[in-house]
Amino acid sequence: MTISPTAAAGARRATQAPPEPERDHVPDAFGPAVLEVRGLHKRYGDVRALDGFELTVRAGEIVGLVGHNGAGKTTFVEVVSGLIRQDSGTATVSGREPARARELIGISPQHIALYPPVTVREHLRLFGGLSGLRKARLGEEVGELAAALRLTEFLDRPVGVLSGGQQRRAQAAVALIHRPKLLLLDEPTAGADPETRQALLDTVRQRASEGAAVVYTTHYLTELTELQATIAVARRGRVIARGTSAELLEGLPGEVRVSFDDDSHVRVSTTDPTAALARLLAEATRPVSNVDVRNPDLDDLYRALAVTDGD
Amino acid sequence: MATESLRRTGLLIRHNALLRLRDPGQMISYIVMPMLLMVVFKPLYMKSLDTGTLQAVTGPLVMFSVFALAIVGNSIMVEREWRTWDRLRASRAARAELLLGKTVPALVILVLQQTVLLCFGCLVIGMAVPVDAGLLLLAIAIWGVTLLSLGAALATLVRSRGDLGMVTDLGAMLVSAIGGALVPVSLMPQWARDIAPCSPGYWAMSMLHAAIADDAGAMLRPALVCLAIALAGGAVATYRLARGWGRSHLL
Repeated sequence: MTISPTAAAGARRATQAPPEPERDHVPDAFGPAVLEVRGLHKRYGDVRALDGFELTVRAGEIVGLVGHNGAGKTTFVEVVSGLIRQDSGTATVSGREPARARELIGISPQHIALYPPVTVREHLRLFGGLSGLRKARLGEEVGELAAALRLTEFLDRPVGVLSGGQQRRAQAAVALIHRPKLLLLDEPTAGADPETRQALLDTVRQRASEGAAVVYTTHYLTELTELQATIAVARRGRVIARGTSAELLEGLPGEVRVSFDDDSHVRVSTTDPTAALARLLAEATRPVSNVDVRNPDLDDLYRALAVTDGD
Repeated sequence: MATESLRRTGLLIRHNALLRLRDPGQMISYIVMPMLLMVVFKPLYMKSLDTGTLQAVTGPLVMFSVFALAIVGNSIMVEREWRTWDRLRASRAARAELLLGKTVPALVILVLQQTVLLCFGCLVIGMAVPVDAGLLLLAIAIWGVTLLSLGAALATLVRSRGDLGMVTDLGAMLVSAIGGALVPVSLMPQWARDIAPCSPGYWAMSMLHAAIADDAGAMLRPALVCLAIALAGGAVATYRLARGWGRSHLL
């Protein structure tokens, strides 16, 4: 498949975020803003890790944050979780500085960050306890979360003996145990088996439906469709595109492929697959054996934005 | 708020104690090995010194308490290996709570190690039972805090557990040898006597000997030196830990 740089640039222009645009792209169904990030700048020596990063995530909204390595996702999350301070700009969680709103935030890092000799239940008790949950409520949350993430039978096993998928679920459970208002999930399904993936997606959807704001980074872009997430594309320290998948995909070319009996085929990249298909069929001089129409997806968007940005 | 803070600190202390209890190898080793050395070296010290049993007990005690720096250091290093330090920093726990949670169990281990060794010294080696147990406990606690601070500072300065092992092994031998834990300072050559006060072990030995002899006055100076070393080490460790040491990439 080919993506015309011109069409991609058009798509980018159509979705590129002006100074405070993303609110316009967010459906009104969501609640008040939980995370508000405005003009974040952060430098490490000569490297501009954040260069005017803007993002608003509202209660109940799942935002898929996508971007290549070095796009600024790490630094963004470190600022939002209160681990580092930005050079300029503001980040607030429910109106408070991140460092003063830690009980409102749940983080699931990309790499497993758990204590191998400690059991899943002990992890949940520790981090739930640190967030202020008391015994009875903590017990309820542990049981409910373990059931949702299919961890019940592993609760009393040390994390170090669990499989990769089970550790992924335990990691997510630690982030979710205190029912945070803001969830920061970094590639929570990376390398996960289908059971883990489904359990995590179901749980994230459930928490969002209960009002949590979710920032979900992934390279599996189909997950964002499954989560019905709005999407923010980060590049070089800023969000360069923001909106629903329909908005972002508008104007991107899909693909029509017509195969013939003699094993030959014609493939066309187009923004109007229906018209292209009609034209191809009308012009066909040989018997057609198969027709395949593929609409643009998030992978196309990802590549198109990268192309226009010079990758 | 104070109650919440105490509760979080308690949770962190319990959590770190759990980690230590599930990996007790080093602790057992650093208690059993000095006991063996005490038994083996006792005849030698008895022949060459009037205070033979005192040296036979306090020498290995100081040497292996310095070895135990590795326990403190490892307890901090694993947080980096497991990428858990950021996870704790991102929690509701304040810096002071995190540091207390991490250091209290380590201090208990250091105090326990020295207490067990002193009891062994009195019961098996035949060292005179200290007159003032409180004074001795104070000396043990001060030396424990000194070791704790040094271990924490080391852990935040070295790059790996291998580096930490090398520094604590070499450091323990050096601190013990120069400080008079292996051979009493009085039997050392002049040049070694001159540099002995540069070793924290020297001050630890002086402090313990004074405490065992129930001489609070003689204990004051070495105790102050140890506390100054503890302060310096603690400042380095706190600075490094608070400034984002052990940061793992969250994204």
